[in-house]
Amino acid sequence: MNNRFRFLPWLGLAAVMFFGVQWAQAAETGTETAAPTVSIDRTTLDNGGTIKVTGKAPAGKPVYLEIWSTDHTVRSNRFDSDKDKETGKIPYIFYITRDMPAYYKIIVPKDMQQKLDAAKKDGGKWAYSTLLKDLGADVAYSIPAKAKIDHYQATLMASVVGSRGTLLPAMDEKESRKRSMQLVKARFRSVGKVLAASVDIQPDGSYTANIKVDKGLAPGKYNIVAVIDKKVKSEPAVFENKISFPTVYLQNAGTSMNLIYPFCLSLVVSIFGVLMGAGGGFIMNPLLLTLFPVLPHTIVAGTVTPTVLFSQGSGIFNYSKINFISWKLGIGIGCSMLLGAFIGPKLTELITLDQFKFAFGWILLVLAALMLWQTSPGYLAKNKKEQAILKEFKKRAEESAQGK
Amino acid sequence: MKVEFWGQEFQVNMVAGCIGGFIIAVLSSMFGFGGGPFMVPLMSVALRLPMYLVVGSSLLAIFFSTTISTIRHYQFGNFDLIFFLAMFPAALLGGYIGPQIAKRVSPLVVKRVACVGLVLLALNLLGVY
Repeated sequence: MNNRFRFLPWLGLAAVMFFGVQWAQAAETGTETAAPTVSIDRTTLDNGGTIKVTGKAPAGKPVYLEIWSTDHTVRSNRFDSDKDKETGKIPYIFYITRDMPAYYKIIVPKDMQQKLDAAKKDGGKWAYSTLLKDLGADVAYSIPAKAKIDHYQATLMASVVGSRGTLLPAMDEKESRKRSMQLVKARFRSVGKVLAASVDIQPDGSYTANIKVDKGLAPGKYNIVAVIDKKVKSEPAVFENKISFPTVYLQNAGTSMNLIYPFCLSLVVSIFGVLMGAGGGFIMNPLLLTLFPVLPHTIVAGTVTPTVLFSQGSGIFNYSKINFISWKLGIGIGCSMLLGAFIGPKLTELITLDQFKFAFGWILLVLAALMLWQTSPGYLAKNKKEQAILKEFKKRAEESAQGK
Repeated sequence: MKVEFWGQEFQVNMVAGCIGGFIIAVLSSMFGFGGGPFMVPLMSVALRLPMYLVVGSSLLAIFFSTTISTIRHYQFGNFDLIFFLAMFPAALLGGYIGPQIAKRVSPLVVKRVACVGLVLLALNLLGVY
């Protein structure tokens, strides 16, 4: 073959490639939809309220609004112990992120209300990812997908020593996105918290939506972005949620709360606790969970525990002054309790709120049975004797303490 | 194990005590309560120890578990300072007011009221109503 013409096929190929790319780019710009606009009627809220969103999108396209809190993030964790449908193995993987927005919601077009209602009927079993896909709202789902998620392989041994397990290598983008959806559900729990149908779209593409922002949310700035599909989004509209004392934002719980309520509750419960001879934790925890469903159960358990610490400490101090404690017995049993208490808080993380409530319910029933038994005539007769001996010994102890 | 207390000697079954204590500690730290109402029956009924030995010593044992559980909850980020500060003074105040009311009411009535209250709370948590 003639050397001179060897380059010709290559030239041809290069030409095809060059024009091909140009043609493809032209096609892309041709189908690209104009970005939607978004504007809001007010930029500040006073601990919740309603914001009216208006905007213009290309006609005939569904509009989704993605709203999130930009100033505050919270922790979300989930323990995956569901059987894998394909392999039949239980993964036992613990997922945790600290980058979950304190508020996250996607508003979908109004005509999807029925689908939302259907999902609400499923109770606790709804799946966020399927629902998003079903509503077509997965195109709007972006912020939590960027969260950095750590995941740990939990083992029985690791649980016994109270660690989270071995840190597994970071997940790829797709896997991370999938897991982040599960974490959104683990954090916000109910359908109504993360999805609402209120975007009213006119045939010409203009839309309005009323966004109801609940009380007790994180303060600070929130972004609203209108989304048509993954690449076509509006610039964010920003509003600020303001709260004022005594409503205070709880950093770890991720909600704001009027501090007067827990104060009064704690006062009443601790008085009652003294009367019935049980620490306040038994009543305080379930009451907090029932009255303030926004609080995560881990925070409730973790914050109530130290409040009982002080009353126990003062009790020990008073008894030790009159030398009324058997240190050998107390420390002996205390050592085994040390181990138990090392594991417990780890387990709080692993269980879901429903499991927490279920187990706590049974514990309370057992406690109620114990209390009932303590009011039975047989016990009272025995107790009277015991109390008399107790008083006698206490008196002796007090006298000898004074004598010193 | 032998324990001497105010001139008397008691034989304590430490194995039962430690296993019971361990279970109570796991539960109480997991769910965030003190554990006293379970610890006292464990020591007085299961270990057959007299009340006057149990009151102080059970408190000491529980104090161990509550301290560690507090530290662990803090490590896992389950502790919220502001929330704690809202409840803690109230708990102190309650601990001060409580004993003064306690003198005036019958413990029997209180326990029966508590019984009903606990069952109601339990049923609520179990989702019965």
